[in-house]
Amino acid sequence: MNALTSQQRKLVYLSGILVLLIPIIYLGLPSDGKSGSGGRLAELRTRYELGESDLGDVDPSSAAMNLVLLGMRGVAVNLLYAEFDKQKDMKRWAEMQATTESIVRLQPHYEKVWEMNGWNLAYNTSAEWDAVPDRYSWVKKGGKFLIQGVKQNRKSTHLQYHVANVYQKKIGTADESRFYRDYFLHDPDPKFKGGVDPDFNPKELDNYLAAKEEYIKACNIEDTEHRPQHILDRSLFRSMPARCQFDFASGLQKDGKFGEETRVAWQEALSDWTRKYGQEVLTVPVGDLGTSVKFDIRLEMNLDDIKREVASPDDVVRVAKVVEQYRKMVNYYYWRTRGNCEAERKTSESHRNLYEANQFYSKQEFEKASESAMAGLKGFEEILHMPEYQDLKSEDNLIEECLLGIMVWQDINKIRGEAIPRDYPLNWLEAEYQGNQQIQLNVKRTFKRLLDDR
Amino acid sequence: MSFDPQSIPLDVALLYWVITVGGLAATVLAVSLISMLITHRGSGGKLFAQEVEGFANDLFSLSARRIWALSKLTYLEAYRRKALAVFVVFALLFMFAGWFMGGDSKDISGDQVKVYVSFVLRTISWLTLPLVLVLSSFGIPEDIRLRSLHTVVTKPARRLEVVLGRVIGYSMIGTVVLLVMSAVGYIWIVRQITDPAAKSALICRVPVFGRLTFLDRSGDPANKGINVGDLWEFRSYIEGATKARAIWTFQNINESTLDSKGNLHLENQFLAFRSYKGDMKRSLLYDYQFRNPETNLTYTTRAQPVNENRGVTDVIPRKLTVPGEEKSYDLIKDFVTKDGSLTVEVSCIDREQYLGMARPDLFIRMPDSPFAYGFFKAVLGIEMLMVLMVLLGVAGSTFLKGPIATVLTAVLSLLGGEDSHNFMDQLVMGRSAKEGFQGGGFFESVYRIITHMNPTTELPDNAAFTAMQGADSFLTWFLWLCKQVIPRLQYFNMSDYVSNGFDVPWEYSLFPSLLITVGYLLPCVLLGYFALRIRELESK
Repeated sequence: MNALTSQQRKLVYLSGILVLLIPIIYLGLPSDGKSGSGGRLAELRTRYELGESDLGDVDPSSAAMNLVLLGMRGVAVNLLYAEFDKQKDMKRWAEMQATTESIVRLQPHYEKVWEMNGWNLAYNTSAEWDAVPDRYSWVKKGGKFLIQGVKQNRKSTHLQYHVANVYQKKIGTADESRFYRDYFLHDPDPKFKGGVDPDFNPKELDNYLAAKEEYIKACNIEDTEHRPQHILDRSLFRSMPARCQFDFASGLQKDGKFGEETRVAWQEALSDWTRKYGQEVLTVPVGDLGTSVKFDIRLEMNLDDIKREVASPDDVVRVAKVVEQYRKMVNYYYWRTRGNCEAERKTSESHRNLYEANQFYSKQEFEKASESAMAGLKGFEEILHMPEYQDLKSEDNLIEECLLGIMVWQDINKIRGEAIPRDYPLNWLEAEYQGNQQIQLNVKRTFKRLLDDR
Repeated sequence: MSFDPQSIPLDVALLYWVITVGGLAATVLAVSLISMLITHRGSGGKLFAQEVEGFANDLFSLSARRIWALSKLTYLEAYRRKALAVFVVFALLFMFAGWFMGGDSKDISGDQVKVYVSFVLRTISWLTLPLVLVLSSFGIPEDIRLRSLHTVVTKPARRLEVVLGRVIGYSMIGTVVLLVMSAVGYIWIVRQITDPAAKSALICRVPVFGRLTFLDRSGDPANKGINVGDLWEFRSYIEGATKARAIWTFQNINESTLDSKGNLHLENQFLAFRSYKGDMKRSLLYDYQFRNPETNLTYTTRAQPVNENRGVTDVIPRKLTVPGEEKSYDLIKDFVTKDGSLTVEVSCIDREQYLGMARPDLFIRMPDSPFAYGFFKAVLGIEMLMVLMVLLGVAGSTFLKGPIATVLTAVLSLLGGEDSHNFMDQLVMGRSAKEGFQGGGFFESVYRIITHMNPTTELPDNAAFTAMQGADSFLTWFLWLCKQVIPRLQYFNMSDYVSNGFDVPWEYSLFPSLLITVGYLLPCVLLGYFALRIRELESK
């Protein structure tokens, strides 16, 4: 017991409150938004960019939910995941999506949560639906979900990469990519009246070009925000924008476009590969493990460049070896050769001829089909004999394209009752790949599709 | 629908009710008689007879006016305890619900309508049920603590009337809250969903479900189709271009089943599973075969594409014409059997592809009812559940203190869920160690855990283990008894029907709920009455 009266005690409490207020105000005074305003904590938060608004868009519902749950956020998320799993098993997709939304509201800055759930919607859930427009709708939901994740986590290299990944890989390389690529520009949802979904493709770009933009953004975040990614080796990660340009050019060919637009696309891809990506500075370890030293290399650098930048002759040899290793790892030569080759008019013409041969064959216009096939085969015979394009002799897509051309040409000869001559363009290629089961299977499958289309 | 509506077997339910209530009543009477004989010796029997006579008097001199007065008093008391403050929470939830439901209201798709409807019904349940649970569990103990019950029971009001008055009063306040919330919730749904396509999902389909059997790929009867790898075994699949069939048999089919133009509306929601992708531009195909088992007459419809997860309504005309032939059949006369059943066989057309289905995936769709009709039926389900909880709460509060009565009622409600009942069913329906329920009963499980004994290892054959298994059997029997006391609440959850765009069926949901509520009325009121009679009301 103390000897103070009630009034005295109140005065002591009041003085204590006032004394405590001084450090509280010094530390915790909120900022008015201007730089340098607010207390010490606000200052530190601004300096180290730890504020909610520094990370990305602030979602009031997310903040409200986290506030209401106090420290029970983890428990709530666990319960939601249990519910999520049940809904997924029971194929209650709409409810599962709503649960997903709730989970990210509770954990808006957990990149893995966005990544996993975005993947689940775009890849797993879309595959559970039968109709292609339905599948695309779920791919879109996954993509939009990741875009939302990027908005709330502007400094996330990973999430930005995954947005690009959906555009490039899910839309561009799925079995349904022929439809998806079309839907990306002409959405099947009647609400968009045959146009794009502005939330998914705001710039109305081809999916590969949209992916390229997103990959460039991811690279920029890595550079400016100093947020390294841990998805791919950096040499591969930085190649993605240029790879998208290659995919775009290749996609145009698959769509049957062989004009100037396609040639320009290949030229741009070659430029992206050699002038942008080839000049990227990659800091790599040179030497044995444990004693290695970091060097800055560029994949387009030649021996003279290395000699200029590296002092010791021993190091020149070692750096040159490492540059070579990295070139092999990212398939640098192949893509450079391919870019050079495809940017030539002859290659473009040969592709067009083989494509048209397939189209004529499907329409049973055998005369035209045979002529086009032979022109295409002759074109590639010439190209593949050029010393600078020898690498393309092992390029699967090109081989399949040529073998399909041969198969179409031979079938027309059979239909006409004409004997197949012993010597014809690319017969050596056919003989070389006779035993490659995978390529033979792919060619036969595509040929069957041509027959079905007839 | 992602669940299979099950009707309640009325005869079995009634038998179980009689056994359980009769058994409990007999136990209570026997225990009362024995305790009176022990405490009052010779005069115990007389006292017991007086008590029984008193009960009969109370029962036959019930006054509706007094019950109503007590109900009003209960209502006012709950009102003064700020029960209606629950509206503030309700208003807050609905003010900000749009934030959490995802997206702009213009973007709500037909699928998301499910989420909106179930959100409203779930919110209403979660707000009203705990409210009445706490009110009903604390009412009588508080009256006893404040000695206000003493004032009531010294008036001509009888204890049975006190219990009934409490039940009616709390049900009244719960009903008021429920009505306001459901009206606001309904308006909220209608106002939130503005997109015409989503609005069309706000429907109330009236289904007639059939019985489902399967034929395997060789045409032999099978319990189920094929599992294509789903964890959830609700649906099973039939293989395309084989003799595999899913056969639905609908009962009580006659001309009234057809619409005004004489068409039969068959709605399906089959799932597609492709073992190879095939032609991705078109959906998998199915067809119906109507078959009369009495005459073996069959008619096959044209193949139709599956519309997965959305469903298709196929309009089957009464006059079935065979393409390329002049003859035609009458759906009712030629395919409905004498006992009024119609058999529909479904097959998958595409080779090496599969169609998945469960019983509710094919039904005859009768004319739709307005969405409000189904919605308020689901609200009626919540109302019945609320009354049931009031009954349990009031009955519990007559012999327990408020917090304990609350816990008791809450535990009974939690145990009443479908999963816990299924688990108890497994335990009590003889799924012993011998029949595959590994590890045995309580004592056997404890023994196996302590001794690290594998569940598949046989127990030693001696008297001690026989006694242990006997004790387990007794516990299982006791669990069976407890299980009969725990209400089956799965029938009360009607939101799944409404959110999936279905009417709440009387046979599968409303009637079983009503039966359960009424079934608990008598034992709960009697339990409350006896507890109040023997309880010292003046004590704190």
